[in-house]
Amino acid sequence: MARRIWRRLELCIDQLYVCGVESLPIVAICVTVVSLMLVIEMSYHIKLVLNQHTLVPGFSTLMLVRELAPVVTALLLASRVGAAMAAELSVMKNSDQIDAIRLSGVDLFKYLVLPRLSAVTLSCMALTLIALVVATLGATVMASNRLGYLPSEYMNTMLAFTAKYDILICLIKAAVFGAIIATVAIRQGFKAPPGSRSVGTAATNAVVDGFIGTILADWVITYLA
Amino acid sequence: MIRCFRNALVDGAGMVSLAAQCLRLTATGRVKPSLVAEQIFIIGVRSVGVTILMGLFVGATMAIQIEVQLRDFGATSFLGGLASSVSLRNVGPVLIGFLLAGKVGAYMSAEIGAMRVSDQIDALRCLGVDPIGYLVAPRFMASLVSSVVLLMIGLVMTVLGGMLMADIGLNVNYLSYIQRVQDLVSVSTLCLSVLKSLTFGAILSAIACYRGYNATGGFKGVGRAVRQTSVEALVMILLMDLLLSDLWSGWVNG
Repeated sequence: MARRIWRRLELCIDQLYVCGVESLPIVAICVTVVSLMLVIEMSYHIKLVLNQHTLVPGFSTLMLVRELAPVVTALLLASRVGAAMAAELSVMKNSDQIDAIRLSGVDLFKYLVLPRLSAVTLSCMALTLIALVVATLGATVMASNRLGYLPSEYMNTMLAFTAKYDILICLIKAAVFGAIIATVAIRQGFKAPPGSRSVGTAATNAVVDGFIGTILADWVITYLA
Repeated sequence: MIRCFRNALVDGAGMVSLAAQCLRLTATGRVKPSLVAEQIFIIGVRSVGVTILMGLFVGATMAIQIEVQLRDFGATSFLGGLASSVSLRNVGPVLIGFLLAGKVGAYMSAEIGAMRVSDQIDALRCLGVDPIGYLVAPRFMASLVSSVVLLMIGLVMTVLGGMLMADIGLNVNYLSYIQRVQDLVSVSTLCLSVLKSLTFGAILSAIACYRGYNATGGFKGVGRAVRQTSVEALVMILLMDLLLSDLWSGWVNG
């Protein structure tokens, strides 16, 4: 029993490594770039409306936490992990490996689908959180260079604006996006038509469907929250 | 580390030279306009619906988000202007650029990559046809033109989406939403979003053509080319977005 659970976990850990650990640098860099961009742009917008930039930390952090960090992480995962997953599964299907697995009596859902689904969901949440920490540090440096904030001042104002509720929304978004990306990619991989040309198509479709699903889910969650 | 850096330099130089070659071939009139038009139809027209959908939802999400942030200050009258300005200046170009990188860019690299790994490009060369002039340049031009046009369509849609969302969900009617738009969305903002559209279109076309043209390793390699295209396009779009925002705020906004 314990051995069976361990086997199942091992499949999941493999997937976690591929989509979590290997995507960490790129996700952290991209979310940091987004946070720097937000500091510049939000200082422009706030100056336009209120003629001052005391609210920049609050505005840019809220925008980052509630909106852009989960979305950018999810889109990166969709194009990195989702495409790879769809390509891998469609290659497996085209070389009849999926039929072979099914014939040998293994449950496809438990062996192929569940590890991927849970790994992408978990790593999307973890990556978003880690990326947020790095991005906040980046934004602090940017704000102290450009807008003359003391780092402590920036952190204090930022914390006054963000509540636990915002982090919760961020995590819910990340989990939903991860699940959508994995589902879409697995579906594209399984339904790939015969012929090796369909590998590229499956990967492309996984990316596009993941993007659309993410943006639609983002709208729904933002509206409900 | 050094190898990684060197690879990035080689790939970057390859992308720039391929793009320059395509532009030169087009400028000297060695690319058939009918081929470009055909590709624009295949890539561009098929993506219009998705782009409009995406634009509407990005705009709507931004409107809700900005409303949540402004509510505490009682400054909801700025909602329309601020939401349109944020969508037009950064969030819109970035998110719609991402979608086009997946839709146009990945499709392009999958197609050119499939031709490459099934040796069709070598076959063309054996027939004495220049594969870049016949295959790559029309596709590059088509994806450049259609992604720039699609980005602009998407940006217009973000403004519309925000307006619809505000009227339906946030109790701000169209008139009071639009009222502030002309105060906050200046000409320089519009110029910046057009500049961003042009840059992002050029980036994703160059990356897609280069990755597809240099695909190796059978049809698995096509999957890899697709993945590399979309990831690299996403990262480059974000970096260029930061760079352009920074330069623009230095030059134009003082």
